[in-house]
Amino acid sequence: MTKTIFEKSQSKQHAYSLPRQWKALASFMPPKELCRESELTLPEISEIDLTRHFAELAQRNVGIDNCFYPLGSCTMKLNPRVNELAAALPGFTKSHPLAPPEAVQGNLQLIVELVDMLCEISGMSAGTLLPNAGSQGEFIGIQMISAYHKDRQDHARTEIIIPDNAHGTNPATAAMAGYKAVCVRSDASGDIDFEHLKELVSERTAGLMLTNPNTLGLFSPKILEITHLIHTHGGLLYYDGANLNPLLNIARPGDMGFDVMHINLHKTFSTPHGGGGPGSGPVLCNDKLKPFLPVPRVEKKGGSYRLVWQNGKSIGKIASFHGNFGIYLRAYLYAKLHGHAGLRRIAEISVLNANYLKKLLAPLFTVPFPQHCMHEFVLQADNYIDKGIRALDIAKRLLDYGVHAPTIYFPLIIKECMLIEPTESESKNTLDNFIEIMKIIVAEIHTNPEIVKTAPHSKPVRRLDEVLAAKKPILKHNGKAPPEASETTNHYPTV
Amino acid sequence: MDFVSNREPQIQEMLKVIGVKSIDELFTAIPKKLILPRPTDDDGLSEYEGLQLMQALAEKNGFTSFENYLGAGAYEHHVPAIVGAICSKSEFLTSYTPYQAETSQGMLQAIFEFQSAIAALTGMDVSNASLYDGASACGEAVLMAMRIHKTRQKILIADTLHPHYRDVVDLYLSSHDLSVEVIPRNKEGKIDLQQLKSLLDSNTAAVLLQSPNFLGLVEDIKPLAGAIKESGALLLLCANPLSYGIYASAGELGADIAIGDCQPFGLPLQFGGPYAGYLSCRQEFVRQMPGRLIGETLDTEGRRGFVLTLQAREQHIRREKATSNICTNQALAALASLIAMLWYGKEGLPKLALTNFQRASFLKAGLTAIPKIKALSPGTIFNEFAVSFGMPIEDVLKAFRAKGIEPGVPLGRFYPDLQDYLLIAVTETKSQQQLDKYIQTASEIVGKT
Amino acid sequence: MKFSESHEWIEVQNGLGVVGISNHAQNELGDIVYIELPQVGKVVKAGEEAAVLESTKAAADVYSPVSGVIQEVNQKLSETPELVNSSPLKEGWLFKIKVQSPEELDKLMDADKYLSQFKS
Repeated sequence: MTKTIFEKSQSKQHAYSLPRQWKALASFMPPKELCRESELTLPEISEIDLTRHFAELAQRNVGIDNCFYPLGSCTMKLNPRVNELAAALPGFTKSHPLAPPEAVQGNLQLIVELVDMLCEISGMSAGTLLPNAGSQGEFIGIQMISAYHKDRQDHARTEIIIPDNAHGTNPATAAMAGYKAVCVRSDASGDIDFEHLKELVSERTAGLMLTNPNTLGLFSPKILEITHLIHTHGGLLYYDGANLNPLLNIARPGDMGFDVMHINLHKTFSTPHGGGGPGSGPVLCNDKLKPFLPVPRVEKKGGSYRLVWQNGKSIGKIASFHGNFGIYLRAYLYAKLHGHAGLRRIAEISVLNANYLKKLLAPLFTVPFPQHCMHEFVLQADNYIDKGIRALDIAKRLLDYGVHAPTIYFPLIIKECMLIEPTESESKNTLDNFIEIMKIIVAEIHTNPEIVKTAPHSKPVRRLDEVLAAKKPILKHNGKAPPEASETTNHYPTV
Repeated sequence: MDFVSNREPQIQEMLKVIGVKSIDELFTAIPKKLILPRPTDDDGLSEYEGLQLMQALAEKNGFTSFENYLGAGAYEHHVPAIVGAICSKSEFLTSYTPYQAETSQGMLQAIFEFQSAIAALTGMDVSNASLYDGASACGEAVLMAMRIHKTRQKILIADTLHPHYRDVVDLYLSSHDLSVEVIPRNKEGKIDLQQLKSLLDSNTAAVLLQSPNFLGLVEDIKPLAGAIKESGALLLLCANPLSYGIYASAGELGADIAIGDCQPFGLPLQFGGPYAGYLSCRQEFVRQMPGRLIGETLDTEGRRGFVLTLQAREQHIRREKATSNICTNQALAALASLIAMLWYGKEGLPKLALTNFQRASFLKAGLTAIPKIKALSPGTIFNEFAVSFGMPIEDVLKAFRAKGIEPGVPLGRFYPDLQDYLLIAVTETKSQQQLDKYIQTASEIVGKT
Repeated sequence: MKFSESHEWIEVQNGLGVVGISNHAQNELGDIVYIELPQVGKVVKAGEEAAVLESTKAAADVYSPVSGVIQEVNQKLSETPELVNSSPLKEGWLFKIKVQSPEELDKLMDADKYLSQFKS
């Protein structure tokens, strides 16, 4: 039976040590009336038990280091360990964000050079590393668009157009920034329905948010017409950089007509996903939007670097200090290691790997868009519904074969959707193995669907009751005994 | 170098399978005029050269050779060795958001334990799985208060809230029709009950306070909380979570939402990030909480397990009606904070907090005993305080730096009326020798004028 | 019983309309875990959001089919939201509304027309 660390507590056990006290310190005591009266109910645990607890938890988790992780839209590529070594250098870890600029020239140089590199890759002229994640980057970008229109006294622009297959952060961001999200349909080829877009664009359009290639893994051949259309109506274009991987040094969003964008460093630039964060979402823009970038900004003047905390038209601050420096320094090294040719190789091989997988998996599923894809593609598992099997079941059965499931049920507009992105990291062997596993599962659907329907069988838990979790939320250790398990209390059920 | 696996032999085989002659044929959807020419030389670096480059940059940071007394929302604490050892495990470092719960029980349970630890420390009913940082936690808390009190349109913010946090809150609120008023500080550097009462009304949705505040002072929250409660507004309390090791918890003080930054636990300074914001609140507000939430449940065989829950409020489902646009949390940073909180534990955390208080108090007493050096306030502190040296701050900084000490954050940039004041942070990392040296140096600097 | 395009039903008696969601809607949503009901006394216009239904995979808005004032809400749903799944047309009613403009009912579909959209 799984125990939380709170349930492993043993009276008076501990791991900590504290620096030596000296006599004079004892004369300083906080005033009683301000002090905590309630007990601090943290566990009492020794170092070895703490160590083993987390070793246990690690054994019940998997990362890219352990297995193939073809999550579409997430770009699960290798997180190089050399990045970890660099991030741990004391010169970086011990630098305080409010240190005088002359004492942190190395950090400031890194920031300026990374912004320059990202601008070059994206075809933009200025940028910021402050947003702590892609969705924060989106928020900043949309706020900058808003500031641009307000600066020109154009207060009629109240709408942001977003495709129906967009990631959920897009409409959420638009709403957070006070805009009405207007939805544009996709056509049968998976591209934006240009006719519908023409109907929707007006003098109320502040901008259009696009991912290109889109969430179906398809590049919009009409992209230049799309950006031109929005611009002629006075709107601006926001590029969601989640799918930048296949475009590195191949094509640039700035050249496509985008005015502002974000990059997900934890996707395209290999910074570790860490179980859900921290990420980093730099924003890049063209000259039109440069004045509105958040502060602080870093500038090179003469031979040295300085911080600019105030800037007239800036939209303000988005982070406590300089954003996730410890994360974007990894991206800096990653970009430097690759150089221009290396980055292009990433794009090329990510697209090669995806098309290879798509070709060999196509016979097993419904293929809504037969044309060549970019770095990811969509398959539908709706051809197994009559056997009572859905995409969810296939995803769970993949776990039994030591592979992480692809993204399922996103984009929302595709029924029984599986969005698959292998990334450039994976070797042909891994891809072939994945195809074999899929073939085995499809065979099981025909001969033994029950085993797929009730998967996974070899993980620490079976399928979890999400309805119970939402109806009666238990969100912390509550001091009650863990729920009763059935007679078969193996952690790894046998089937 | 690159980290691509497939090379020429595999590439050729794969192209055959796909049915194209070259990789370029896979990019034909892109208009030709957009395609960049192929780079002609390989300007990448080897792993060795890459590390050399990073070493050189790190060495350009002279800061690390100074004794550091900077605080203001980022504190130098000992990071227990076990934190790095656990966080660098492949299964944590390289894993994704736990959407497939059965294969992510480790991370889910760890974050559940983080939620439990934060709830325990802050004395609140529930906590979320972390937010980006303290600043965004404040912004999210204000938006949350607005969702709870849909018809109230006013927010009060303490002048003594971290100025950067204040700026971020302003940005979060910029597209909303709200009135924001600042509660001024008194000459003691704290928030006055009378001032607060004069600004509170039935249109106030929430009051955002910080304690210990930006000037290092512990606010008298209880009477303030009473007045806030009477007006029907919500109390949002921002705090350094370590201070709850000795001072009254947010729950005891009557807060509705407790927010702040977990940086003091297990997270190195790293020039400002990644840190991890926390947000905990009373049970009745649980469905309005932004960010991720991990919940406990049972599997089909009655086994205990953990899942992401209450996701219907989040962006990937609710989209434009979501409680926020948040996608990532700070999972790995939250894990680091959890491990540090556990390493100190029930007994150690209060002791860590106490020794921070004592060392800071020791330095404050030693400095204010020197003629000409004045404390901003006699009020209770935690591990930070402000003093003036009775001379231009630039000269003070120069003199300390000549002795290898970075003495504190000059307050003039944040509060123009506090031009000559320095905000000094003292943590458990400062020994008796170092503090004596600081006092000695201060004495010399002031003595020379 | 009449149906709206957004899958709500309304049954009016003596100027008081009982509102819920259709069987199709509850099936699409999945197990309902939480319901946010409107305040009694709230004034709503036809087509305006009146309630929110939360399942594990979606949160859906319930729009009032007619304009009026909310008179009563189904208290049982706070403890047993699953009534909306098991009995969407009866026990799982959401709220009762005092109908302001009876002619709005003419714009709604009758049962046959509503159900016909799901055939084949």
